[in-house]
Amino acid sequence: MSTPSSRTQPRTQPRSQPVWQIVARREIAVRATDKSTLIGTAVMLAVIVGVLGFTAWGESREKTYDVAYSSTTARAMAEGIAERAGDIDAKVSIDPVAVDDADAARHALEEEQADAYLHSTKDGWELLTLEEADSELRDVVSQAVEAIVLAANADSAGTTAAELTAGSKVTLDQIEGDSELSAIRWVVGYALAIVFYFASIMFGMTLANSVVEEKQSRIVEMIAAAVPLRQLLAGKIIGNAVIAVAQMLVYVAVGLVGLSLTDFSFALPALSGAIGWFVVFFLIGFVVLSTLWAVAGALASRTEDLQSSSTPITMLLMLMFFGALYLDGVGAQIGSYIPPLSAVLMPMRLVDGTAAWWEPVVAVVLLLAFGVALVRLAERLYSRALLQTGGQLSLKAAWRLEE
Amino acid sequence: MLEVSGLTRRFGDKVAVDDVSFPVPSGGLTGFVGGNGAGKTTTMRMIMGVLAAHAGKVSWEGHAVTREDRRRFGYMPEERGLYPKQPILDQLVYLARLRGMSAADARRDITSLLERFGLGERAKDPLEKLSLGNQQRVQIIAALVPAPVALILDEPFSGLDPEAIEAMADLLREHARDGVPVVFSSHQLDLVDRLCDRLVVMARGRVVTQGTGDELRAEAALRYRVVLDGDAGWVRDLPGLHVRDVSGPEAEIEVVSTGAEQKLLAEATSRGSVLDFHRVVPRLSEIYREVTA
Repeated sequence: MSTPSSRTQPRTQPRSQPVWQIVARREIAVRATDKSTLIGTAVMLAVIVGVLGFTAWGESREKTYDVAYSSTTARAMAEGIAERAGDIDAKVSIDPVAVDDADAARHALEEEQADAYLHSTKDGWELLTLEEADSELRDVVSQAVEAIVLAANADSAGTTAAELTAGSKVTLDQIEGDSELSAIRWVVGYALAIVFYFASIMFGMTLANSVVEEKQSRIVEMIAAAVPLRQLLAGKIIGNAVIAVAQMLVYVAVGLVGLSLTDFSFALPALSGAIGWFVVFFLIGFVVLSTLWAVAGALASRTEDLQSSSTPITMLLMLMFFGALYLDGVGAQIGSYIPPLSAVLMPMRLVDGTAAWWEPVVAVVLLLAFGVALVRLAERLYSRALLQTGGQLSLKAAWRLEE
Repeated sequence: MLEVSGLTRRFGDKVAVDDVSFPVPSGGLTGFVGGNGAGKTTTMRMIMGVLAAHAGKVSWEGHAVTREDRRRFGYMPEERGLYPKQPILDQLVYLARLRGMSAADARRDITSLLERFGLGERAKDPLEKLSLGNQQRVQIIAALVPAPVALILDEPFSGLDPEAIEAMADLLREHARDGVPVVFSSHQLDLVDRLCDRLVVMARGRVVTQGTGDELRAEAALRYRVVLDGDAGWVRDLPGLHVRDVSGPEAEIEVVSTGAEQKLLAEATSRGSVLDFHRVVPRLSEIYREVTA
């Protein structure tokens, strides 16, 4: 007997696992141990941590400006500014520095030994800097000078600054929302669109590559003889989606934890529902697009053909991406229902807070229906094109192929 | 037993396989020969269900073959390959699992086959790190797990080094001995001659002849070789014979009308002495050349 296991085992042996699961497990195992995937993930995490860390650091950093003076009046003014700086901006402190004269001050600025030179002019005061002054420095100096001069003028007029400015304060309020929150909504919305776009391209290309790899290495004929190609397609897409979603969840989790450490943490509760929806739309949209990527892979015969066979789908993605960027108002409202555009636009509207609760439900149903139709179409193209190894196929030629 | 009947496949207007029928009996090696484009690969693909047949059927143990049956067939496609970057044990286990084997059984069987082919130490190496000859060995193993109930092998010997050819031949014989129907195509006629119990010869999409070696030889015209003590050129003038070859005192003839060889012998003895006279049994490769000519 040449092989150890018995040939007489019953033909209907119990199947331990459905084929698509075996395929998906291989996809995941291969990808999870692939060096480029691991390095890519590490780089992406480093970028997220880096960006958020830089933001948090920038917010908390204290800045000290050396302000030069060359006269006693200027010295008094500089010291007055230094005294008030902390009240105006907690992260700014002013260090008065004595110089001999205006020329010495210029020299100090050029040599970057001082950040600014404060001196009086006939109209008031001038703050000289090498390049445009930082907004923090400008704010602190102008507000402090104004307050000090106002107090002095009031004193000589026999009154106080408080009496002079009484009743002049304007406070801001708005009826709808919070301006800072809406800015964050805008940023998060676009960030999600970008995440969707890049994830689709990145994982889609990987999927198309693994399809063409099976075709190019000719292993697909052995697989096709053993299992239905539909199961192979399903397994590859599901395996790929599991990896993609796992990676996205890691990014989103790290991103949210990072965000909660910055000053923007107040926005999190308002966004969590929308981000939940984003995951749902991402998953469906991703799977729908994956089938198209698999078709692009099946149409190619070699990795080199992929660039051109995947052009239609990269065009579609560009359309979705720019649609998301440029559509607003009624356009965005309509677009947020049209699959596959809805996969990007609806989550953006949700983040934006302009969609009612039932709108994403309708959009998901439409997207799912579109997805089912597309998957069937893609399956036909995939299974017919997969065994054709003689060069790149057009969509039309693949559709007409017989099994 | 595996049986093919009336298989037909067209590509556009071209009929690639035309009404092809042959049995692949259990316990024997069936050789499938024919030139390039004769339709061998298309036929084998239809047997495996990779390509749909336009007419005809494939039966297995008396019923129309099902996907589940095919899952237990060992198949080696003509255009073959495996995952270049995956370790060989892992991908062989994967392929065996696709064909319904449990991971533990697959691992055990494959490990023993790898050892048999001298690849036990390489189990964790990616395929692309192996020499081409060893990659072919891995490909053979891929067709042999799980223990196949039938073997359909398209050019299994192409690209093998002599050592691997012997190992492959042994494997095929072993499987046949265990009662597995084995059909393989090959261009190496001497190999087919040496190994096969049956031969199916295809040309231009049709089966031109088939049968066991003895049947084919019996069908072929009777041939005799004669060696005289003088020039044999005169045999050309005898009726009822086809002269295949004459050189000096030697001649090889084919009998066209029964008994002509006896007349030849009588004539020869009357002209001088006959040094040799014997029946020539054609090799399968010669028969092949004749039927496909």
